[in-house]
Amino acid sequence: MSVLAPERAPVLDEPSAAPAVRTRKKDFAGLVLAAPFLVLLVSTVLVPVLYALYLSLFTERLQGLGFSGPENVFIWLGNYLSVITDKAFHAGLGNVALFAFIHIPSMLIGSLVLALLLDSGVVRLRQMWSLAVFVPYAVPVVIGGLIWAYLYSPTIGPIKNLLGIDPLSDSAVLPSIANIATWQWVGYNMIIFYTALQAVPKEIVEAARADGAGGFRTAWSIKIPVIRPTIFVAVVFTVIGSLQVFTEPMVLRGFTGTVTSTWSPSMYVYEAAFVAGDNGRAAAASVLLAVICAVLSAVVMRFSTRRSSR
Amino acid sequence: MIAAGLSGGYAQQTNAIRAHNAPDVLHVEYQGLPQILLTGGLRDLTADMADLESQYSPAAWRGVRPDGRTWAVPMDLAPMVFYYRKDLFDQHGIALPRTWDEFRTAAARVKQVDPQARICSFPLNDGSFFAGMSWQAGDPWWTAQGDTWAVDITGEGTLRTASYWQSMITDNQVAGVVYGSQDWIAGIHDGKLWGILGASWSVGTLNRSIPKDIGRWAVATMPTWDGKPANGIQGGTAWGISAESKQPEAAMTFLRWLSTNPDVPKIGSAFSTPFPAHLPNRAVARQAYKGGFFLGDPVYDVLDEAAKRVPDWTWGPNALRLFSTISDSFGPVRSGGTTLPDALRKVQQHAVADMRARGLSVREGKSA
Repeated sequence: MSVLAPERAPVLDEPSAAPAVRTRKKDFAGLVLAAPFLVLLVSTVLVPVLYALYLSLFTERLQGLGFSGPENVFIWLGNYLSVITDKAFHAGLGNVALFAFIHIPSMLIGSLVLALLLDSGVVRLRQMWSLAVFVPYAVPVVIGGLIWAYLYSPTIGPIKNLLGIDPLSDSAVLPSIANIATWQWVGYNMIIFYTALQAVPKEIVEAARADGAGGFRTAWSIKIPVIRPTIFVAVVFTVIGSLQVFTEPMVLRGFTGTVTSTWSPSMYVYEAAFVAGDNGRAAAASVLLAVICAVLSAVVMRFSTRRSSR
Repeated sequence: MIAAGLSGGYAQQTNAIRAHNAPDVLHVEYQGLPQILLTGGLRDLTADMADLESQYSPAAWRGVRPDGRTWAVPMDLAPMVFYYRKDLFDQHGIALPRTWDEFRTAAARVKQVDPQARICSFPLNDGSFFAGMSWQAGDPWWTAQGDTWAVDITGEGTLRTASYWQSMITDNQVAGVVYGSQDWIAGIHDGKLWGILGASWSVGTLNRSIPKDIGRWAVATMPTWDGKPANGIQGGTAWGISAESKQPEAAMTFLRWLSTNPDVPKIGSAFSTPFPAHLPNRAVARQAYKGGFFLGDPVYDVLDEAAKRVPDWTWGPNALRLFSTISDSFGPVRSGGTTLPDALRKVQQHAVADMRARGLSVREGKSA
């Protein structure tokens, strides 16, 4: 997750004493108002992050049969090194890259098209349709995953018969996972895009129409460019969500052996911490994952500002 | 309350031990005990338990003493057994297989009678199941030798087990559905699975999943490799006491009651089929068993015989992690991406590297 700090207004030198007192009072009020947020930020984000950084530098070293218990040893960046050189971690990154490659375009195009259709007025029963597409987002991810897992199950689900391929086999399981995520998020992003489309000035759309632009042309050349910042925000969130994909593959893992215990980087972290009992390596992997997320979202943001300023 | 071991309970317990606020009594399966011992969180119960040795099933007693010290109080034992549709086997003149060769013939007959049906499922995503199947073959995956672990996941017996099941999978003689999954229950309901490679606790699963299938199923000890009686174990529970417990005596009194008091299996029999590790209590459970579900040999006779046949076995300090490595490595087997023996060779390398990385003293290969 990346937090964008608002730029601080330059502090002006106050020559007289009286306004300085007022400023101090104001500062105090600001502090009180910000306190609930600060307490939560410190206790649920900053402290755990710092603790993870601390943990990532240590390992529990055993000896002999191991029954004399572990000894906590400082190993500098040893955990990072073992994560970076771990083939399972590479495979996990490869999986989420492929997952993102399928999920991001299909989800974004799907929700954009649906939003444009809703906005264009060609759709009757608009409320019903938007609710129908949005409902999967309201279904908890685990429940959604289970529903799909049953649909995917080769002997009791219909999908194998419909498509002729086993959706849980090792070649098809990745698209199957992407499909669950896409199903879940299309409605959510459709609502975001639809809301952004509501804010497109009517005059521009009418002007385009007066110039002879049809529905497609208006959508492509007017509406999409206007809501481009919203689309980029959605891309950033989806990129981060894809990198951190966890629940869908975790649920399917109970139904097939083709989802490995380290299928995605988040599952790698989970496996390291809670199956292997190696907290140091788990912390290092999660720090690396956070860094990758931050870099990727920075790249997407940079790309989007460049595009919008053109 | 915490979840059962492999579904997150061990993680929670380990974290509690690390945080120095572990409960007094900890639930440990035999297979998870050595891995939990690595946390240093269990109390040595050797002296407290010494007087009970003769009262426990030898397999259970060995299970709580991986290094010759007693670390937990045995609760139950889970010998593996073969459940089969005796009605269908009899109807089509298929003899109960007593060796794995006969099992292959029986599997072919089942498929011949009903092309949609299979003799059983061989789940590939359950490392603890595969370990139990290999246990029977008599080459333990780990042995504690002095201060060193001998790790031998590619021993002769294990590879024989792997090659056998690989050929059964290649010839499409076994189903691949996961034990207890909806697919599996559907298969059992529809008569598409004629048998189950299960353990003592499968009695409960059967009673729950197919309560109306009275008088169709029978239970037998596992087929053997060469006619020589041998049987694996899958699971089984014991209880440990936290090293930092402030009431270790009270905890010990409670656990002795839980493990050896005859009232416990009586209560247990009301809603499941306990198979206590404590031999006098097993007799109580046998008395209390209602029966009526199975044809053929009495369930407790078969389980007793199965428990007697269990060869030596030691769980290693990475057993739980190894289960997930096994299921990861077996994933591509069904589509032909790898074979069981090849996957096991990778598992062995992975296990040895992992144990060494943690600082443990490891030697590859059979125990000397």
